[in-house]
Amino acid sequence: MSWLKRKSVLIPIDFSDLSYQALEPAKEQVENISALKLIHVLSPLHPADPAAMWDTVSDQDRKQKVRAFTRDKLSEMGYDDIHIEVAIGDPMSKIMDYAQEIDADLIVMSSHGRKGVSHFLMGSVAEQVVRLSHCPVLILK
Amino acid sequence: MKQLLSRKTSLFRLKHYLYGLAFLLIFLPRVAFAQDDAAPAGFLGSIEAGVQGIVDILNLIFYFKVGGENGMPFIVLWLVIGAVFFTFRLKFINIRAFKHAIDVVRGKYDSEEDEGDVSHFQALAAALSGTVGIGNIAGVAIAIRLGGPGAAFWMTMAGFLGMSSKFAECTLGQKYRVIKPDGTVGGGPMYYLSRGLSAMGMAPVGKALAVIFAVMCAIGSLGIGNMFQANQAFAAVSNVLPFLTSLSWLFGIILALIVGLVILGGIERIGAVAGVLVPVMAVIYALACFWVMLVKLPEVPGAISTIITTAFSPEALAGGAIGALVIGFQRAAFSNEAGLGSAAIAHSAAKTDEPVREGIVALLEPFIDTMFICNLTAIVIVLTGVYADPTATDLNGAQLSAASFETVISWFPYVIAVAGFLFALSTMISWSYYGQQSWAFLFGESTTNIYKGIFLFCVFVGAVVNLGPVLEFSDIMALAMSLPNLLGCFLMSGLIARELTSYMDRLKSGEMLPEPQVAQETVLRR
Repeated sequence: MSWLKRKSVLIPIDFSDLSYQALEPAKEQVENISALKLIHVLSPLHPADPAAMWDTVSDQDRKQKVRAFTRDKLSEMGYDDIHIEVAIGDPMSKIMDYAQEIDADLIVMSSHGRKGVSHFLMGSVAEQVVRLSHCPVLILK
Repeated sequence: MKQLLSRKTSLFRLKHYLYGLAFLLIFLPRVAFAQDDAAPAGFLGSIEAGVQGIVDILNLIFYFKVGGENGMPFIVLWLVIGAVFFTFRLKFINIRAFKHAIDVVRGKYDSEEDEGDVSHFQALAAALSGTVGIGNIAGVAIAIRLGGPGAAFWMTMAGFLGMSSKFAECTLGQKYRVIKPDGTVGGGPMYYLSRGLSAMGMAPVGKALAVIFAVMCAIGSLGIGNMFQANQAFAAVSNVLPFLTSLSWLFGIILALIVGLVILGGIERIGAVAGVLVPVMAVIYALACFWVMLVKLPEVPGAISTIITTAFSPEALAGGAIGALVIGFQRAAFSNEAGLGSAAIAHSAAKTDEPVREGIVALLEPFIDTMFICNLTAIVIVLTGVYADPTATDLNGAQLSAASFETVISWFPYVIAVAGFLFALSTMISWSYYGQQSWAFLFGESTTNIYKGIFLFCVFVGAVVNLGPVLEFSDIMALAMSLPNLLGCFLMSGLIARELTSYMDRLKSGEMLPEPQVAQETVLRR
């Protein structure tokens, strides 16, 4: 059945417990765990953040720290060998850019299941990904 | 395929910008027409009426007078109690730690190995760019206009006592900050209220106070750190460029555009440039104040005695006998933010493992902002006597300060226009950071663009609306931040006092050993 398996599956995470839940179903879609690619998108520092104002923290430092942090977290959960990508910018467009870059054939992510005002404010990343993705998207509820 | 998709994404974003642009194009001519009518009519009038409506409701909630008609507004009394309480509870920390504060800022205690993003000096400078705003020029003039010269005395007193509340909140900010997965620091009242009170077994109270603070700060940032700044920047600039007087909408759009370029990313250099120019302007401003004093040297003792004597006999002023005191405290808190909690957001980024040390650095802030810069403005205004000139009663805020300087240095209103504009710009950028942190605490990082949009709209509103409602809104919302913040600080005052005693003991004995901090582990926030 290996011909049914995906070659490149992208999992966007935001460090919430819900977002990690996408790992298990994503794993089922691939033959080898190395086909899983994980992305976390950091927001740019506000220009008045003291670290940005004095230019004491570089984008490179931030990415590297997040990568190390995620690697520890993943190996705690029993997932090693997953490639971790860290980008800085608008979550939706960075996820899309990376999906194209790795030619993803599936994106797996959780919807936060918010309703009302907070849905209006926050539920949109998953929805925008669905709208703009070139490949199938699996949204967990 | 890839190219196509990336075009699709950028088209999607472009579409949003085009909608925004179309909205502005339809909207602008109406604003322009409305401006041609008599002031309160049309679109601008309805904005003003809207702001006034909100102010009336807020007045009822926070501004009821304690002690009858001529009593003290509750929220001002709250600030006074906070400042006095911490000054006595911490045994005049504002005096006894002053020299140590300067040593720390000079870098004597900096350690590269400590967690954090910036040095003590850098943290103080970042916090100061939020506090040294146009309030230092315009706010003092407003205080003297409303409360007489005596209000300046009470501003100084409030600055002196406020050093202690500033110490308390920034110590807590440093103690309960979080280090995010990317290594940057998150701190401020929302963190110390929720984490600090939770450590004391009051988790629900802490969480509630943190949320209340974040709501107040997100809304408050639109007043004190936005509309008031935009309003007085316009006053200062249109004062020297009279043709702009009827073009407030244009000024509002240009200002919103500049702030937008900085906070929406792209041209961060403007922020850095303003950050460099602000200290330069502050020095030029202070030198000019000294120059005015030098020119009128024989009258200086008289001006100072006017300030002190009228502080205790403010007859015939609005608010009765304690009017000057109320106005002084209000304007001082507005200027130096002591008790509001906002500065703790910036101070928590300092590289240290001693929370008390950054608190001590922070107490210099009200000193520089209020006791030094505001006082200089006050002495110039009283010295030149423009405030008492019966033909100049329509001058208020930045224009009153400009007119005062003009009597001695004829071209100084231009400097006030430039300095005021830059002070306002840097303060707006700083406060958009405070407001954004609060917004992110409530709704998450991914939605902060909505906050930025609201913030930019308010820059425009601030420039086109009259000072009255803008000042009232800004005052109430800023002071309301002190409600959850100081309540939390009171509850944790025992802890602050213990930390301080331990720090001072170790400082005196010559051992400054770092101790493990509860707040240093990485904590996840969505």
